[in-house]
Amino acid sequence: MRYFRLHRIFIAQYLKKLMEYKADFLLGAVGLLFAQAIQLIFIGIIFSQIPDLRGWTYEQILFIYGFSLISKSLDHLFTDNLWMVGYRIIRKGDFDKYLTRPINTLFHVIAENFCVDAFGEMLTCVLLLCVSIPKLNMPFHWYTIPLWIVAAIFATLIYTSLKIITAAIAFWTKSSGHITHMLYMANDFSKYPVSIYNRFVQIVITYILPFAFTAYFPASYFLTGKDPLFCIGGTVVAGSLLFALALFVWNRGLKAYESAGS
Amino acid sequence: MENMIYADDLRKEFKKIIKEPGIKGSVKALFKPHKEIVKAVDGITFSVPKGEILGFIGPNGAGKSTVIKMLTGILTPTSGTCRINGKIPQEDRKNYVREIGVVFGQRTQLWWDLALRETYAVLKEIYQVPDDKYKKRMDFLNEVLELDSFITSPVRTLSLGQRMRADIAASLLHSPKVLFLDEPTIGLDVVVKENIRNAIRRINAEEGTTVILTTHDLSDIELLCERIVMVDKGKKVFDGAISELKRDYGDVRTLNFELVNSPDFKLLDYKRRFNLTDDDISVERDKGTVKVRFDTAAVSVEEIISYTLSTVHVKDLNIKDVEIEEIIKKLYRREVRV
Ligand SMILES: Nc1ncnc2c1ncn2[C@@H]1O[C@H](COP(=O)(O)OP(=O)(O)O)[C@@H](O)[C@H]1O
Ligand SMILES: [Mg+2]
Repeated sequence: MRYFRLHRIFIAQYLKKLMEYKADFLLGAVGLLFAQAIQLIFIGIIFSQIPDLRGWTYEQILFIYGFSLISKSLDHLFTDNLWMVGYRIIRKGDFDKYLTRPINTLFHVIAENFCVDAFGEMLTCVLLLCVSIPKLNMPFHWYTIPLWIVAAIFATLIYTSLKIITAAIAFWTKSSGHITHMLYMANDFSKYPVSIYNRFVQIVITYILPFAFTAYFPASYFLTGKDPLFCIGGTVVAGSLLFALALFVWNRGLKAYESAGS
Repeated sequence: MENMIYADDLRKEFKKIIKEPGIKGSVKALFKPHKEIVKAVDGITFSVPKGEILGFIGPNGAGKSTVIKMLTGILTPTSGTCRINGKIPQEDRKNYVREIGVVFGQRTQLWWDLALRETYAVLKEIYQVPDDKYKKRMDFLNEVLELDSFITSPVRTLSLGQRMRADIAASLLHSPKVLFLDEPTIGLDVVVKENIRNAIRRINAEEGTTVILTTHDLSDIELLCERIVMVDKGKKVFDGAISELKRDYGDVRTLNFELVNSPDFKLLDYKRRFNLTDDDISVERDKGTVKVRFDTAAVSVEEIISYTLSTVHVKDLNIKDVEIEEIIKKLYRREVRV
């Protein structure tokens, strides 16, 4: 409860700060929207040539792409400060202050910042889902919406956990932003159906960096109604396991933290 | 008296990767890194009674900040233990830090973009200070540290002196039992320094807060601390009251001679006369006054006076008491056996 309250306070402070830097914010959001638009045009061009891809139709691909943005944008909105942990906060010794405050360090560092740039992605996400869903004949039951929520939460947890782990590496190496960066390049694979990739890439994004569970698997369940245990269950398991691992690595990292000489 | 802070054989080692210059060096560092171990803190033991202000001094790189970081739970010691108010900082960190306040003069712990008032409101939530207590506390801190004139400004717009006062107030918001101040007066002008010293004294006197402060400024030490711990190269070199330091190591004296004819200055050559080195004596001249500072172990007060009086005409002379600064300079130069 206390953490929810604190989170609200941090958001309120952040929004105040935002008002102060309006131009900055607008530029960021517009920039991201622009980048998303270019990606979409790109997909549009490709799929206007090929009517289907390994059995997936154009609309289905759009849906998977849109679905992938749910967890990506949520993670982006709430936990963007983890990038700074890997790039700057640990290396410069600025992590000291989190350790002298009576709240969880991971919560503190994450809650302190928001990235409203993520609204660009969210808008694209909503747009893609709204365009694709009416054209798709998707199964719908009373439990479909709760499953969406579960899938979205655990998919976001997959993103966030991987980011926590790569950020925490900096506790040992001082800087790990480039590793988070590489991770983000791998996550680009998750926007498209896993079946289009070769075996190696499939195994990596399913079992090692399970980005496939942030988009393709849950999305394909919602599209076809097949394999709920693997598709949704897998997302829950992958999210939970990774989060446990992330907490473990983070806590070990705290002990290894060396601050910085002045 | 019961001890508030207790450190036993604290050690902290940092691994440094030494890179040879050039591309060859970079490649070598990648495959076979040459690691060097820096013993930043090398077995330090001390304790601080409840309610004391302890000065922690030593030259740059002596290990002061590293000790503070271990005591505050930021760093995990390589070996040794510390206990503050019966708690080990690295265990149960979240409960421990409620009892302490920490300020690092070199870097702010506040949010750069928040107005100061907002900053305190956030800290109030983090430390769960109840509304009525918070209001009283802010009034008190406002009065002691004179925050009023800049409390609505964002932290990034504050001057160094304002920022330091803001940081100290932040560290005191939750009424900590122990206050750790690492270089709280660094880079400040005299007026702000005075304000900060008064604040520390008041908090200590009125609330019985135990304080450890590291500093370069020896007036901080003389004005605030009853006791000092001096460290050098990670080891403790002195631990005791300031009066003790003066008594045991106070063998430096300063004599001021006012000459009748200031050009006579040239006639005085203490070094040759008594066969002294630069470490034993220093002579400064300011118009007609000659200031001789010397080590009584090398030459006596009487010898200096009689030589001076027999060589030049002296209008006036005075002896200055031993200055703590001199002793500490000597200690830094490792001339004193401890
Ligand atoms: N985070 C760190 N990593 C590596 N070496 C460090 C670190 N912090 C301090 N040191 C080294 O440890 C020694 C003591 O530093 P410090 O405690 O900051 O000294 P002081 O505060 O007395 O000036 C110095 O040699 C410094 O270079
Ligand atoms: Mg220091």
